[in-house]
Parts: sequence; C-alpha cells; structure tokens
Amino acid sequence: MTPPQDATPKPPKYPANLETSMILPKQRASPASSLASLPYRRSNPSLQKLFESTASISGSRPSSGTATPTAPPSTIPSSLFSPGSRYNGAGTPGSLPPGVSDEHRTLIQRAFAPHVAVLADTETEELIRAKGFEGGLLQLLRPFGESVPGKVTIRDSVGASKSYEDFGVRFVGVNEGLGLPPMPGRDSTSGQKEGGRASSSSIRPRRLGGDVPQVEELVDRHLQYSEFNSQDMVADYLNQGEPQPQESTTSPFYTLYLRRLLSGLPLVPHETFAHPVAGIIAISSRNANPIEELRRLYSRQHDGDLRFPQWVENDYLRYYVLVHDEETGDIAKSNQTFDSMKRHFGLHCHLLRLKSQQCIPSDDDSVRLPTCEWMSASEELAEIQKRETSDDITDPTPYLPDSDITAIRTFIRELVAQSIVPNMERAVSTWNEQILARRRGISGRFMSLSKRWTGFGGSRTSSSSSSTSNSNYDSLQGFYRPDAPEALMRKLADYCFMLRDYKLGLSTYDILRADFQTDKAWRHYAGAAEMAALSALLSPGPLTSKTRTDTVNTLIQDASYSYTDRQRSAAPYYALRTLALGLELLRLRGSSAADDAARWASRILETGLVGPIGAALFTQRIAACYVVRPGVGTLRVGSRRRKAAFWAVLAAETWWKMERALQADRCLELATSLYGSRGEDGELVGLPSQDMQAFVDALRQQIMGLRLANRGFVEGGDALGDGDGEDGVGDTGVDEKRLVVEDEALETLDTSPRQHRKSLIGVPAPAVDVGPLSPRVDRKTQDGEVKDDHFEGA
Amino acid sequence: MSYYFTIFSPTDTPLFTHEFGTSRSGGDGVPHFTTAERSMAPFVLHSALDMVEEVQWGPSTSSGSAPMYLKHIDKYANNFVSCWVTGANVRFLLLTRPRDEALGLGGSGNNRGSLAGGRTGMTGGGGLYNPSAPATEEAVKNFFVEVYEAWVKTVMNPFFHAGNGDVVKSPVFKARVAAAAKKYL
Repeated sequence: MTPPQDATPKPPKYPANLETSMILPKQRASPASSLASLPYRRSNPSLQKLFESTASISGSRPSSGTATPTAPPSTIPSSLFSPGSRYNGAGTPGSLPPGVSDEHRTLIQRAFAPHVAVLADTETEELIRAKGFEGGLLQLLRPFGESVPGKVTIRDSVGASKSYEDFGVRFVGVNEGLGLPPMPGRDSTSGQKEGGRASSSSIRPRRLGGDVPQVEELVDRHLQYSEFNSQDMVADYLNQGEPQPQESTTSPFYTLYLRRLLSGLPLVPHETFAHPVAGIIAISSRNANPIEELRRLYSRQHDGDLRFPQWVENDYLRYYVLVHDEETGDIAKSNQTFDSMKRHFGLHCHLLRLKSQQCIPSDDDSVRLPTCEWMSASEELAEIQKRETSDDITDPTPYLPDSDITAIRTFIRELVAQSIVPNMERAVSTWNEQILARRRGISGRFMSLSKRWTGFGGSRTSSSSSSTSNSNYDSLQGFYRPDAPEALMRKLADYCFMLRDYKLGLSTYDILRADFQTDKAWRHYAGAAEMAALSALLSPGPLTSKTRTDTVNTLIQDASYSYTDRQRSAAPYYALRTLALGLELLRLRGSSAADDAARWASRILETGLVGPIGAALFTQRIAACYVVRPGVGTLRVGSRRRKAAFWAVLAAETWWKMERALQADRCLELATSLYGSRGEDGELVGLPSQDMQAFVDALRQQIMGLRLANRGFVEGGDALGDGDGEDGVGDTGVDEKRLVVEDEALETLDTSPRQHRKSLIGVPAPAVDVGPLSPRVDRKTQDGEVKDDHFEGA
Repeated sequence: MSYYFTIFSPTDTPLFTHEFGTSRSGGDGVPHFTTAERSMAPFVLHSALDMVEEVQWGPSTSSGSAPMYLKHIDKYANNFVSCWVTGANVRFLLLTRPRDEALGLGGSGNNRGSLAGGRTGMTGGGGLYNPSAPATEEAVKNFFVEVYEAWVKTVMNPFFHAGNGDVVKSPVFKARVAAAAKKYL
C-alpha cells in the first residue's frame, strides 16, 4: 500500500520556480483543498478521535455495545464490516440475500426510539457541571440511554413477549426539538441548560435534526477528513471489505448519512415519535425542600413556561429522580427524602448516587464518556468546529468514575424496563381497546362511512374550506388536539412502532390514512402512509407476493407525494426520509424488491431532495441495490449486474467531480469488477465496448491524478514542486504516467482475452479511442508481467 | 431528437454502432448529444441489456410466439431505450434522446406551436415525448424491421460470424441503416 511516488525521489522545490508559483493558485482554487488545507493538516488528536469514533460508529454498530459498555470508543476495533451487526437476525424478514447485512434495518429500528424529556433543578445542574459536564444532566445521561444495558422484553398486543438487545431511549431537553429555535427571552428562565452550550462555538448546536443541508455538510467534513489525512483509516475500510465483497458496496459514509438523517427527529404535530413518552424530573439532595421543588418543576412543565406546545399530549409519565451527592451528601437524609418521594409519587422514583468530584483521565477507574451515537448533524458540526478552532490538543470529553457509570446504567435500565416500557404497553392496550376496537367495529365503520360521505359532499361544494363540522382536524393550525381520537390513534400506532409491534402499527396506520384523507390533513396523511409502508416492510412476515409489494410502493409514492407536492408547505426532509428508508428496507427484501429500491433511489435523485453529497451517495446506493439482485439459474436471468456496473460508473464520475478521489476509486473498482467478471470461464474480461473502456480508462486516470494531488497535500506538499508543471493535475508527473500505463495494461492486455476482444483490438479503431485521452501511453512496451503492479489493488 | 443505435452480440459485445439525428420535423439527421450524454450512451445501452433479458425470458405478455420487437424497455434520465431481439439472440438497441422541449424541459413553451416543435406525430399527444405512444412505437418498429432485413442479409455471409463477435464493417449495411433511420425516425 505504499504510494509509489515515495520510491522516486522528488526534485527539490525551488521557491523561484515560476511554474510552481503558477500552479499554486490553481490548486488553491479548488474549494475542497482550500477548505481542507487549513484545519486538517494540523494534527489535532482530539479532532481525530472525534472523526474516528464517529466513523467507527457509522459502520455497523459494534456488537460490544452492551458487553463491554465501559470501553472508550477510541478503542473500539475498526471492524466496520464485522458480522456482529447481525445479532438481530431474529427479526429478519425471510432470508436475506447472501452477503447482505441488515445493518440498516437495525439502524432504522433504533432510530425510532421513545423520547424522554429531562428536567433538573439548579442544584443538580450545578453538581453535574462541577463534574465537567457543561450540558448538565442531559449530557450525562444521553449517551447511556442510546442502548439500554441488557435485554428489554416487550410484550406486544397479542401477548407474545420478545426481547431486544438494542432497545434504547433518547433523552431530550424540555425545550428542544421544537421546529423553531427556542425564544431568546426564555433562556433566562430555562437558562440552566443553555448557558454552558451557547458560549462554545459559532454554530448554535441544536439537538434537532431534520436539516438535510447540515447532514450533507457533516458527511462532507467526514469525507474530507478521510480524503486528506487518514490513509490508514481508509485502508482499513478497504481491507476489511475484502472478506465480504458484496457488502463492501455499503459505504460507511452512507450509513453516517442515514444515521444523521434520523438523528434528532423534530417535534412536529403530524408524528409523535419526538413527543415525550416520559419526563424525568431530577432534584439534588442538596436541595433544602425537595418535595416542593419537585412540585414546582412539575407544574412548570405541566402548564408553566416549560410546557410543550399544545398539540403535544401533556400527561405523559413523570419519573422523579433524586440525585445524591456521594461525597458531601448524607445518605441517611437522602434515603429519608427518597422515602417521602416514594410516598408522594409512587413507584416511578429513583435514587441516583453520583460522585461530585471531577474525574480526570489519569484516575484509576476513570472511563471516558461514550460518544453520542445519535447526535444531530448540527451538534456534531459544532463539535468538530469547536475542536478545530481550539488550540487545546487534549480531549475535552469528560471522564467519569466507574461507579457513576454503573449507577447510571442501573438507573436507565430500571427507568426503561420497569417504567417506560410497561407504561407504553399499557397505553397501547388501553387505546387498542377503547379507541381502535370501537373504530374497527360495525358502528365505527358506519361512523367513518357517514363521515366520509359528508366530507365528500363538503368537498364538492367548497374545496377551500376543508374543515367539516364533525372533523377533529384544525385545518388552520394544522393539527389534531391531543385528546382527539385521531391523535390518540396516531400515538398508539407510533408506540407500536417504537415497541416494534409492526403488525398492530400497520393496521392502525391504515385506518388513520383513511381518516386523514377524509380530513384532507395531507401532512398527517403522508406521515401515516410513510409509517404504514415502513411497518409493512419491517414486519417479520414474508412480503413476497406481488400485491403486497405494490401496496408498499403505492404507500411510499403517496407519502412522498403528499409530503412535497400536495400541500403548500413542502416537507422535503420527510419525503427524503420516506424514500431513503423505504429503499433500504426494500433492498433487504431482495430480488424484485431491489428493483423498486433502485427506483426510489433514482426518484430521490430526480426530485432533487438531496444536495451534491447525497446525490453521490444515493447514486452509489443504486448500484448497491442492483448488486443484491442475483440472477436465476445458470444464465443468471434477471440479474442486474450491468445496471449495477453502470450506476457504479456514474457514482465514480460524480465523486470525481466533487474531488473525492477515494470514494470515486472505490466505485470504479466496483464497476470494473462487475463489468469484468462476466466471462463464463471465470476469467477477467475487459469492458464490452471500446467506448466504454476508453471512458473508464480516462476516468481512472483522472481519479488517479486527483488522488495523488490530494495525497501531495498531505505529505508536506512536495508534490507541488515537481517542476514539469504541465497542468493542474499533471504536476504529479512521471509517477502518474507510469501508474496509468500499468493500469491500462491490466485492463486491456488480459492474459487470455476472449476471441471477440482480439478481433476488436484488431480493427483499426483502437488508436483513435485511447490516443487522444492518454497520449503518453504506449501499450506496445507492456507485457502481461506488469499485472502484479496494479496500483495498490484499490 | 437524437438516436444512438447499437447491435449487441449474444455475448454483449457491440457489433455495430450508428448515431444519427431525426430527419423529421425539419431535422438535419445530425445527432445533438452533449458530450456527457454521448459518453454515457454506450453505458446506458449496455445496462439496458439487463432489462432486455428480463423481458425476453420473463413471462410472455403476448399470446403465441414471443415477439421480436420488445418496444420501449428502459429509461435512464432523458434517454429511452427500445429493443428488438433477433432469432439468434442478437439485440438491436435504440436509444432515443428527445429534444428538451419534447420533455417539457427548456423554456421553449412558446416555441411549441411553431413548425419545428409542433409536429407531434412522433412525440405523441400533448407535445411531450411518450415512448409508448402508438406512433412512436410504430416508427421504431418500422426502423427495426428494415434494419433486421439488412442484418439478415449480412449474417447470411458465410464469412461473418456474429456469434464470434465479428464487427460489421460493411458500408452497405451502414448505408441501409442510415436510410432506414432517415425514412422512419
């Protein structure tokens, strides 16, 4: 893997060299290099840690998440394509196509997790901030909530229990996640959380996702990083990919893109995933008047200044936590307070014992705070920016004593397994009996029928005023009141989805779809259609029949259309989410569903829902969709190898245009392997047509030049001073020429090309197609021996 | 409108390639591909072979014998692909790139009424190009039939082995394809 230009000594760079001074501005002119040259060439270990930890998360989630929970992320082995991600194979629909991991299915399941609002009193925030956590209790709890230790057993609507290892909850702040930024005036009142964060960087880090441009920017930063200074890391990617050639089509950056797309779901009326399922109210043992303080916080949250918007159900589960200070507090007194809390508030209480001292990395039992997997794109961008601009090379991530971590894990385990999940189960069964069963019965059908008819008449007479008298939909403000049956049913369906009871979820979403359509609540309708499609795809039963696939396709189509075109205010983020998740899940279904997946992916590209980075990633993804479709029989009828190769070439070209040489290179490799291994006798055969061969060769040459140029920046910039200075790329000079020659030799002079290839080369044409593209290439001098010198095999 | 016509051997090697523009609606018979489209055209056609095989070997849509003309089978961006399969599994693929106006792209909405843009005989109703419009299908079919005739005469040459990937070099064949293109497309 040593880059060949190391072998030949470069002529020294003379400052007076005219060519050099002419080349330099040219190279600076490229936006990527100018962006990257400054911050990335500085080796900032804390920054590197951030990129690496996120990148390693962005691959398949290491299965050690619960087994060795205290391991700092930086020590997680970079086994990105480890088969460990298949531990959830129980829920896999049917049998996966060979070599396809259901990594993204797991990702989607984990993305829709119950949200828990965190509210703490001032003393608790002070206590925790003294430990080095600027974000207070929320920052402390957040990483641990993402995967609840141990298995969580969930009983579904028919009474069957199922255990999940990867169940998690998301801790959110009380005033975060709203579609609008928090009011500046409110910061003074709810300021305990705001103060620490706002000072640190210029981007305001909001724990709110749903912003596609930010996701793109973030992925771009990661790409740049991998492009410019992590040969070892990317080498790892490539090497790790070899044992599983099929799944190497999944780029870690695509996974990162999806993850950030699903991080920080915004709090909106038309879906309740981000609505709090429970709220933690924490007070400190230092508080003189604990019960009063709890009541005050509760009333602030219930109907005071910290209340959620009116379309959010307000009577969610409250969980009361007493944070005991191990070092200064008196445990007897805390126990007494805790007992009185239990008397007042019942079972949903916990005594959390933490050390108040700040922990430093050199302490005996100190453990680094795990990185948040599900932070939103803006947060991570802010973090990257903060670390880039700070001169401090130490890792700012706070450390925790081991005992604290155990305490927090116990707390979260108890919170989820004993309060949140049973509470959600109970809510599901209650609503199922009281609302859904009534709707499903005879009278319910009749009611909806009559409603539909009146709605029908109303729509004929006046198309503008869609709110009929007996509709619960507030068409002006665009939401259902939280106690309306529709809102409750939506909540029921979302609970089912979060508890992974996809069957009940699907049937509820179907009923809701009809209701929302009658009410012309298009965004709600789109949401229900989206989730119905996802539930259908996630439910473990086989979905092989053509009609079911058609249903899903109609749902996805409906959802994406209703999210964007049907209403005045389009919601492209949700349309993108629908299509992206739909395509991922369809792809896992294999065979003919993979075609649909590819179609939805090209829909994403056509409708322009994504920016340049997303476009490249999804182009690459289309190739991956086609790759999973195997042919039938010896003729491999129905395989999509040629399509896959075509899209891989397209992706390579797109990446190259964006100057992401490594990505382009990987796509091109995939393409050539798909085109090449077509021969019946298993021999490597070149591309079928001269034109295509010429195009691919030219592209490869350009990518190579770009790659060497990028590398030249990293390795002290001595490649700049080559001196021959033909053009912007050609400054890499002789080496590039040699490499390209070798590469072409591999492509065109196979050891035993098939006969028709010989005859192709025999026609007078070949000098024409290769000549103008690479005038320096002289094939005659090559022989088959150079094959082993194929540049890096990458 | 621009066309890119390729004959693929059963082993996916292109045996003959011809580019041309429409000669109808005042067209000059010269293709107007952009450079990017031009370089992508072979890839598009080659990738369409996947769909050809699917249609060819898939469940038959017509009663009786399998048709040779498979009509419009694939689409990439603004490129439409039609196919004809000969008895020896040689595939004729025709890539059609309609003008931007015919796709409803370009800002030439006022141009549609003029003579150049107004001939909707080829482009189906409404001015938008529709690959499965009867007129379009018929025109492409006629073109394929003519090419097929010429092709049959070419492969009857005992010194020509299409199965071995022999490229068609005959100027007569080329002239006939060009004539068929001029006549029907």
